Amino acid sequence: MSIKKTLYEKDLYDDEELFQRDCAEIAKERYLSGQIDRRTFAKALAFLGAVPAFATLGGRSAKAAEELVVVNWGGPAVKAYEEAFGKPFEEATGVKVVIDGTGPLGSKIRAMVEAKNVTWDVADTGAGTTLVLGDAGVIEEIDYSIVDKSKVLEQFAFQHGVANYMFSFVLAYNKKRLEKVPTSWADFWNLKDFPGARTMRKQPNGMMEACMQAAGRSKDEVYPIDIDLAVSKYKEIADEVIIWGSGSQSQQLFREGEVVMGNIWHTRANLLRRDMKGDVAWTWNQGCIAPGMWNVPIGNPAGKDTAMKFIASAQDPKQQITLFEAMGNGPANPAAASLVPEDMRAYDPGQPENLALQVPFNGLWYREDYGNGKTNDQVSREKWLEVQAG
Amino acid sequence: MFPGMSQHGRYWLLILPAVALMLVFYIYPLLQVLWISVTEPEPGLGNYRELFTSAFLHKIWWTTARICVITTVLTVLFGYVVAFAMAHVRQRHMTAIMFCVLLTFWLSVLVRAFAWVMLLRTEGVINEALLWIGLTDQPLRLSRNEFGVVVGMVHFMLPLAILPIYANLRGIDASYVSAARGMGASAWKAFWWVYLPLSKPGVIAATILVFVFSLGFFITPAILGGGRVVMISEFIRVAFEETLLWGKATMLSASLLFCVLLILAIVGRVVDLRRVFGST
Repeated sequence: MSIKKTLYEKDLYDDEELFQRDCAEIAKERYLSGQIDRRTFAKALAFLGAVPAFATLGGRSAKAAEELVVVNWGGPAVKAYEEAFGKPFEEATGVKVVIDGTGPLGSKIRAMVEAKNVTWDVADTGAGTTLVLGDAGVIEEIDYSIVDKSKVLEQFAFQHGVANYMFSFVLAYNKKRLEKVPTSWADFWNLKDFPGARTMRKQPNGMMEACMQAAGRSKDEVYPIDIDLAVSKYKEIADEVIIWGSGSQSQQLFREGEVVMGNIWHTRANLLRRDMKGDVAWTWNQGCIAPGMWNVPIGNPAGKDTAMKFIASAQDPKQQITLFEAMGNGPANPAAASLVPEDMRAYDPGQPENLALQVPFNGLWYREDYGNGKTNDQVSREKWLEVQAG
Repeated sequence: MFPGMSQHGRYWLLILPAVALMLVFYIYPLLQVLWISVTEPEPGLGNYRELFTSAFLHKIWWTTARICVITTVLTVLFGYVVAFAMAHVRQRHMTAIMFCVLLTFWLSVLVRAFAWVMLLRTEGVINEALLWIGLTDQPLRLSRNEFGVVVGMVHFMLPLAILPIYANLRGIDASYVSAARGMGASAWKAFWWVYLPLSKPGVIAATILVFVFSLGFFITPAILGGGRVVMISEFIRVAFEETLLWGKATMLSASLLFCVLLILAIVGRVVDLRRVFGST
C-alpha cells in the first residue's frame, strides 16, 4: 500500500523523536526563564542539531565533500552549532558543518535513500528507528575503525547506529507529599505506605521494564519481558495511575500536585527538582536507560567516511558535557563521566554508580516476533492501551 | 455562457470542481480505507470478525456508546434551554447570548479541554472552592475520568445543539401557544402538547449532529480522560500510528462510518430527514 510506506516508521518510533523534541523544548524553557545563558542554550541546541536549516535549502552542494549536513529535531533558531561542535570538526577536517532542523523521520530517510536523492549526512534518531532502518538496508553500518567503540556503552554500539547521548526512565517523587522516600518499583506499587496518584507513560517502553521489576524480576531478568505479567502488574495500581503523553505533561502533573510519584524521563525530573526547589527527587535505582542514536543514510552526499569522522568527533566528552549541563542529556561517552562537575554527577544517568543501578533499554527485544505475526513492540502497545482503558 | 447547455447542466458545471475535489481527496481515500480493511493482513473479513470476538473492542465500543449517549442527552437538554431563552428574550439580549455561544464555538478545542483540566483538577478552582466551603473534606476526582470527558464534550457540543434548535424555535408561530392558552391549557401543558412537538425537527437535528460528532471524538477524551477513557477513535489512532495494524484501524473506521449511516437510516424511517435539515 503506497500510503503505508510514507507513514511506516515515523509513527512507530514517535517516542524517540518525542524525546529529542522534548530536549529542545526543555532548553528553550530554561533559556527563557533565565536558568541558562544564551551561549549554553545555543551550544546545547546545536549539539542536538536543533538549529533550523539555513544553508542547506539550496539543495545538494556540488562540492559535497566540503560540507556535512547533520539533521535533527528543529527548535528555536540558534546559530552556535559551529561553536559547540561544528567548529572543532571544521578545524580538524576543513569540512563545513550545516544543521538541518527539519527532523530525521525514519520514513524520510528511507524515502531519500530509495529515491537516491540523499541530502543528509548524519541523522539523530533512536534505537528503534536504527533497527528498522538497518533492517531495511537504508543506513550505513557504523565504521568502528573510525568511530571509537570504547567511547560508548557496549549495548549502545549498534551495527547501524551509535549512541550520541543517553536518557533514563526513572522513579521520580515529591518528597513533600510522601512520608517515606520510595527507592524501588516495589515502593511505587505499594499504595499503603506511599498513598497518592502516580503517573506512567502512555506508551509501554520504559514502563514494562518497571512492571517487571515490581513483579520481582532482577535487573538482569527484565528481558525477555513477559507482557502479560507486566500488564497484570500495571492493573494492580491502575486506579491510582494518571497517564502522561508528552514530557511537559509529566512535569505538569508534578507541578500541579496531581501526582506524588511517576515513571518519567530523568531530564524532566531534573527540571522539577530545580523548579520545585528540591521537593522533587528521583532514584536511579531500577531505572531504564536508553540511547539517542547517530545514523548515516546510504549514499550521503559528503561520503560515508566524512560522516563517520563527524560522529567520532562528536564523541568528544567536552561537547557531550555542554549538552548535559544545558538540559541533562547524559553523555554517551563513559569517559565524560569523570569530567562532569562533582556537584552534577548525581544527575547524570551515565555515571558508573548510577548506571550500575539501571536496566539498559533493549531495542532488540522489542523488534522480536511475538509469535502471532506481530512484534513484541506491537503486542505490548496494544495490551498497554487495553489495560489503561481499565 | 455555454450555449446549447441546459439550465441544469450549467448549474452542475458550477459545482464540478467541488465534486472533483471530493472524489479525489475524499471518496478515493475512503474507498482505500475500506479496501485495506478487507485486504490486510489477509484478504477476507477477518478484521471484522474481531468486532464480535474481541472483548477489548466490545469494551471500548460500549464506552464510546455510553459517553456519546450521555453527552447527547445532556447537550440537547441544555441546548434546548438556551435556545428557548434565545427565542424568547428581547433582540438585544438574544444578540448577547448568541455572541457567547459563538465565542465558545470559535475557541480551539484544545484550549477548551485544557481550561477544563485547570478547573477540574485535584487542586483546581472547583475542588478548592468545595473544600473551602466544606462540602467535601477531600478533593473529588473530577477530571481524568468519564465525568471530565462528558463535561468537556458537552461544552464543546453545545453550540451544535443550540444553533439548529434555535433556528427551529424561531420558526414556531407564537399564536399556537396563545391559542392553546386561550383554550384553557396551563403554561406547562401548552409547552408539552403544542410547543415541544413543533420543535421536534430542531431537537432531532441537534441530536443527530451531536451524536454523530461525539462518535468520532478524539482530543477531549484524550486530554480530560487522562489516558484512561479510551474511545474508539483513540484505538484507531494507536492501530494506525503505533502498532501499524492498518487492517484493524481501517476496519474500525469503516465500522464507525457504517454506524453513522445506520443511525441515519433508522432515524430516516421515523422522521423526514430532509425536513429536519431544512432542505424543504
